[in-house]
Amino acid sequence: MKQLFALVKRNCKVYFKDKGVFLPSLISPLILLFLFIAFLGNIYRDSIRDVVAGFEISDGLVESIASGWLVSSLISVCAVTIAFTANTVMVQDRVTGARNDFLVAPVSERILSLSYFIATYIVTAVMCFVALGAGFIYMAAAGWHLSAADFFLTVADTLLLVLFGTAFSSLVCSFLKSQGGVAAIEATVSAAYGFLCGAYMPLSSLTEWLRDALMFLPGTYGTGLMHLHLMGGAIDAMTEEGIPHVMADAMKRGFDCTLEFFGSTVPVWTSYLVLAAAGLLLLGVCLVLHLGRRRKS
Amino acid sequence: MKAIEIEHLKKYFGTVKAVDDVSFTVEEGEFFAFLGVNGAGKSTTISVLCGKEQRTGGEVWIEGRPVDADTKRAIGVVFQDSVLDRSLTVEENLSCRAALYGIDGDMFQRRLEELSKLLSLGELLRRPVGKLSGGQRRRADIARALVHSPRILILDEPTTGLDPQTRQQVWEVVHLLRKTRRITVFLTTHYMEEAADADHVVILDGGKVKADDTPLALKNRYAFDAITLYHVGERELQNLSLPYERAGEGFRIRVKSTAEATELIVKHPQLFIDYEVTKGGMDEVFLTVTGKRGGDR
Repeated sequence: MKQLFALVKRNCKVYFKDKGVFLPSLISPLILLFLFIAFLGNIYRDSIRDVVAGFEISDGLVESIASGWLVSSLISVCAVTIAFTANTVMVQDRVTGARNDFLVAPVSERILSLSYFIATYIVTAVMCFVALGAGFIYMAAAGWHLSAADFFLTVADTLLLVLFGTAFSSLVCSFLKSQGGVAAIEATVSAAYGFLCGAYMPLSSLTEWLRDALMFLPGTYGTGLMHLHLMGGAIDAMTEEGIPHVMADAMKRGFDCTLEFFGSTVPVWTSYLVLAAAGLLLLGVCLVLHLGRRRKS
Repeated sequence: MKAIEIEHLKKYFGTVKAVDDVSFTVEEGEFFAFLGVNGAGKSTTISVLCGKEQRTGGEVWIEGRPVDADTKRAIGVVFQDSVLDRSLTVEENLSCRAALYGIDGDMFQRRLEELSKLLSLGELLRRPVGKLSGGQRRRADIARALVHSPRILILDEPTTGLDPQTRQQVWEVVHLLRKTRRITVFLTTHYMEEAADADHVVILDGGKVKADDTPLALKNRYAFDAITLYHVGERELQNLSLPYERAGEGFRIRVKSTAEATELIVKHPQLFIDYEVTKGGMDEVFLTVTGKRGGDR
C-alpha cells in the first residue's frame, strides 16, 4: 500500500510540475468553454427557441438551458481528453526508462499499472472539477436552475465519466511507446470524441442508424447523464413559464437528456450501469494486458 | 560468500538467443566487470539479475537465494541514462524511490543525511534534477541506487557520454563505496581502462561467455606486450626479424610475453638503450576475445 501511495503521489507530482503539460491542460477547458459560448452559444439558443416555437420563453431560461448544454458538453469531452494528457506520465516513463527503475525495486507490475491508473484518475478529476467550477460560475451568471440533487448527481456523473476516460485512455496508451504517439492520439480523440459522444451535436439530430450505432459507445451514456443533470432543471422550469410538459419532454429528448436506444427510452440507472461497467471492464482489460506482457517477458 | 551466481542462464526472445548458457560467479565485495559489445546480452543478464525479466532457463542466485522480490532489496542499479524525474527535486525523487523499499519518515531522513554526506549532495537535494549538471545528476543517480543500502551495486555503463572530469568524480564515489562499505560492484562499460582495475572480468559475445578471469590473466592470455624503442635505426631493427611499427619518435615491437621481451633485451643489449615495455591493455583483450580483431594467442 505504501508503494502504491508513493507511486501515485509521484505520478501526480510529475504531471503537475511539468508546466508544459499541466498549464495547457488547465487552460484548454477554459478556452474551450469560452469558444463554446462565443461560437456555439447562439446556435443552441436558436435551437431552443425553435423547439418551443409559438410559446413565450424568457431569455434568462433560454440562456440557462444553453449554458447547461455547453458546460455538460465541455465536461464530457474533457473527462476523456485530459485523461489522455495525464497518461503521458505513463508513456514518458517508458521512454525515459523510469519504469525500469521502478521494476528493479520490489514493486509488482500490477502495483505500477494501478498507480498510473489512480494518478490519471486523480489528475483528470481535479482538472475536470476546475472546469466544472468555471462552468458553474457561468451557469450561475446565466441563471441557476440546478437542484441540490442535480448538483451532486453532476459531481457523480463527472467522477464516473473520469473513470471511463481514465480507463479508455489507459488502455489506448498502454500500446504507445512515444510521447508523439500520445499527442497524435490525443489530437484525434479531441477532434472526434465530442462528435461521437454527442457533446458537440445532439444525437437526436443525427440519422437513426448513426444514432443507434453511437449508442454502442459507453461515453454517450455519460454525456447523456451530464446533459440531463445540467439542463434538466432549466428545461423543467419551462413548464412554470407555461410551456406544456410534453414539449419539455420533447426538448429533453432533443438535447439528449433522455437517450433512446433502438426506439426505447434508456432509463437513467442503465446509463450509470453502462458507464460504470465500461470503466471497470476497460480497467480490467488494462490490468490483464500489463500482467500478460509481464508473463510473456 | 558469493554475491551473484549464474548457472547456465538462458534468455530467449522468440528465436533470438539474447543470453545462451551463461555461467559465472561474483564474489562478495568484488569489483566485477561485465564486458561485451552492444547486443552481447549484458543488459538482458542484468534485467534477469534484477528480477525484471524472467529467464528461459538456468539458475540465478543473489547472495545464495534464487531471484525474487526480496533479492531486489540487495541490488541497486545505476542506469546508463538518468531515470530520475527531471521536474522533481533530488529529495523528492529519493523519497519516492525509498518508499518503494518501505523506507519513509524518520528512517528516510536518516538515510538521506547519510547519502548526502557520502555523495556531497547538500544543496543539490532541493534542486530539480533537470537543473543539475551531468556530474551532479550522476551523483543523484548513485544516491538513488544506494537509497535502500544495497549490498550489490550494478553500474550499467555509468560513464558513457560523460566528460573526463565527471567520469573521474563517478569513479571516486564508487571507489569510496568499495573502501567504506565493501559493496560488490558489477560494472558494464565500453571503456576498457575502467575494467582494467576490476578484480574479475567476464566478456560476453553473442550471448555466450567468451572469457572469464582476472584482467592480468586475460592480458597474459589474449594481449601482446610491446617494446617501444627510441634512438635506434630502422636498419638495426630489421636485423631482429620481428614485426615492428612506427610509434611517434620510435618503433614498437610486439612480443608474446614479458619473458620474451626480457630475452630479447638480454640478447640485443646494444639496441635497448632507451626503451619501454608495456603490457597489452584490456582494449586488446576485448578485441581479441570478441573476434573483432584476429590474433588469438
